[in-house]
Amino acid sequence: MEKKNTRHTGRLDQTVIYLGKLFRMFIFQNDWKLLPMAAVVAGLVSYVVSANVFVTMEGTRIGAFALSCICIWNGFFNSIQVVCRERPIVKREHRSGLHMSAYIAAHMIYQAFLCISQSIITLQVCRMMGVTFPHKALITPWPVADLGITFFLVTYCADMMALMVSCIVHTTTAAMTIMPFLLIVQLVFSGGIFELTGPAKNLTAFTAARWGMTAICTQGDYNSLPMVSIWNSAVQMKGVEFQGEKPLEQILIAIEDNGMRDEILLKTAEYNQKPDYESSPGNVKRCWRYLVLFSILYALFSTLALELIDRDKR
Amino acid sequence: MNLLPQALMQIVSTLFQIVGYWFIFRKCGVRSFWALVPGAREYHIGVCADKEQEGRILAVLGIVLRVFSYFRLDESDNGFLMFLSLALAMSQLIYRIRILGGLCRVFGRPRRWIVPMLFFEGLTAMYWGLSGDFQPVNLQEKEEAGGEIKVSGVNLEVSDEGLAVNIDERAVFDLFKKRYLLRDIHMTIPAGHMVLLLGGSGAGKTTYVNAVTGYEKAKATITLKEKDLYREYGKMKYDIGFVPQQDLMRGNDTVERTLSDAASLRLPADMPAGQKKERVEAALEQFGLGSVRGSLVEKLSGGQRKRLSIAMEFISNPSLFILDEPDSGLDGVVARSIFENLRSIADEGKIVMVITHTPDRVIDLFDDVIVLAKDSNRTGRLAWYGSVEDAYRFFGKNSMEEILLAINQKDEGGEGRAEEYIGKYVDYLIEKAG
Repeated sequence: MEKKNTRHTGRLDQTVIYLGKLFRMFIFQNDWKLLPMAAVVAGLVSYVVSANVFVTMEGTRIGAFALSCICIWNGFFNSIQVVCRERPIVKREHRSGLHMSAYIAAHMIYQAFLCISQSIITLQVCRMMGVTFPHKALITPWPVADLGITFFLVTYCADMMALMVSCIVHTTTAAMTIMPFLLIVQLVFSGGIFELTGPAKNLTAFTAARWGMTAICTQGDYNSLPMVSIWNSAVQMKGVEFQGEKPLEQILIAIEDNGMRDEILLKTAEYNQKPDYESSPGNVKRCWRYLVLFSILYALFSTLALELIDRDKR
Repeated sequence: MNLLPQALMQIVSTLFQIVGYWFIFRKCGVRSFWALVPGAREYHIGVCADKEQEGRILAVLGIVLRVFSYFRLDESDNGFLMFLSLALAMSQLIYRIRILGGLCRVFGRPRRWIVPMLFFEGLTAMYWGLSGDFQPVNLQEKEEAGGEIKVSGVNLEVSDEGLAVNIDERAVFDLFKKRYLLRDIHMTIPAGHMVLLLGGSGAGKTTYVNAVTGYEKAKATITLKEKDLYREYGKMKYDIGFVPQQDLMRGNDTVERTLSDAASLRLPADMPAGQKKERVEAALEQFGLGSVRGSLVEKLSGGQRKRLSIAMEFISNPSLFILDEPDSGLDGVVARSIFENLRSIADEGKIVMVITHTPDRVIDLFDDVIVLAKDSNRTGRLAWYGSVEDAYRFFGKNSMEEILLAINQKDEGGEGRAEEYIGKYVDYLIEKAG
């Protein structure tokens, strides 16, 4: 009779218990090493892209892609093994009354902490490496905060995707085999490096990299930046002769002499603007919404996948 | 132009296959009519070849490829579909080779028979099916062991605070058939008893434990302390402690933290924090873990880890306590001290059920023994439940190891007398139940 009224630890309390476990893991299981690793990755990437990101159109596009890749890389590595490496333990605890939703909620909070830390580190390292940050704030009063939120959301979205994979697969080997494929999909279908057409273009909507790139380019006011690739090509071709003369060189000198270089760079940029990168708060919010939506969906799938843990073969 | 003869050839070949496999299935003890059903035929060839898993995959591949062929997807201009059908066809070929290899082994024939089976399947299957020279090697054994096995049909009632187990069957559905994992297991275990669960490999010990704890439900009635465990599983699961064979704990947490988290998870939410702490302290003391309370789990010895794993379940003070090989990997002295701990738990009025493969060194600590054995259908059956002394008399043996040897199959190095004891026990149970 006494058992009938017995209430056991609910989801909220279980979330707190597991959060404690995860933070202890941060200290004892060297999870803290993910933070310096994020600094190293950010340092390497900003060393390569720092000169032109948020300065020219081309630099911003490549830079936005590279920055998104840092976030995705960090997110994937944060959680790709966290569940599958302790799957038998989770199964035992499920048998003892663990709610999977509480377990995933604890992971979501802990991973959010990791992702926020990594985003702050990435921003700081980029600043130290001389990356020019956007001057225009679109959502918060501070442009760097806007950028930081974008970094966080991209990292978190990738993190939740990796968490989902970790909940679905049964071994760390399987997780680490799948991870490169996911990374390739994110990179190829981001639309950042390869111009995609037809049905493939629609696939970009399902990648965190695409929404991250779009948000970063929007915040960097991509459409109002100068385009230098055509000018640079013309400079390289200035020695080309036509009927004994070098017309391209003459034109370039005339433009320089008249102080029209910047005007020309902006003019060329005008013809290469992308409506997707229109610098507006609505555009940034749209990207953030998608990233949040995907993160929630991945977390839901993670919970569903773990609810089936009792079906694992012995 | 050549379509008609080709179609005729196809029909004749399929007919040959059906007839051939009809008789092969009969020889294997599989229902012959499955030879008529595409898909099911492939699966049952796998069953005959003792490669059921491969048979299942081959059946699915066959169905998918038939769909491809019907819609002519394999002839499509779409490169992806062509690639896919090619990949599927290659997989089908590999699985067919594996299964045919198995069939050769079962029929005691050299593997070179795979070649004619692949290229002239219908003719070869006819030859194998109709020729008396082709018989499964283990057919004789199966015939000897075959036939309907006795079922007691009794239903026992719990008379005290103990556990009443009435499992009619625990079955799973494979692709085309029902497979019994457990059948006809009935017993009542009084509170305060420490019970040994004995059985050879594949006898269904873990399936039995999962059915009794409600983790994998069977067609059964399990009553613990006069409550239906299956009906009230949500509440009663906290009254059952199951210690798995492996030490499934996080190595990077301290002993005390591991226990206090286990307490938070398993004990009632409204229990005051002070009481929970007391229980943690008591468990640390009872299992000799006080001196390592601050150590990380990964730094513990095998014995300490096992004690911690037991303490994690014991902390909720369960009425039914089940342990799967708690002595695996431990030396005799450490194992004995763990079993003595378990005896003291049973003496507190709990039911302690233990699976172990080395029972004789601690048999004096047990009250009862459950002997599970697999019958000729590979179904787990009860060969004995009762006191240890009575078990020796029932089996005519002097140790648990000898009992195990008697019930184990011949191919496992045993005497292969499982069915004899299952039948004998059914008679004993019917007589006992009146």
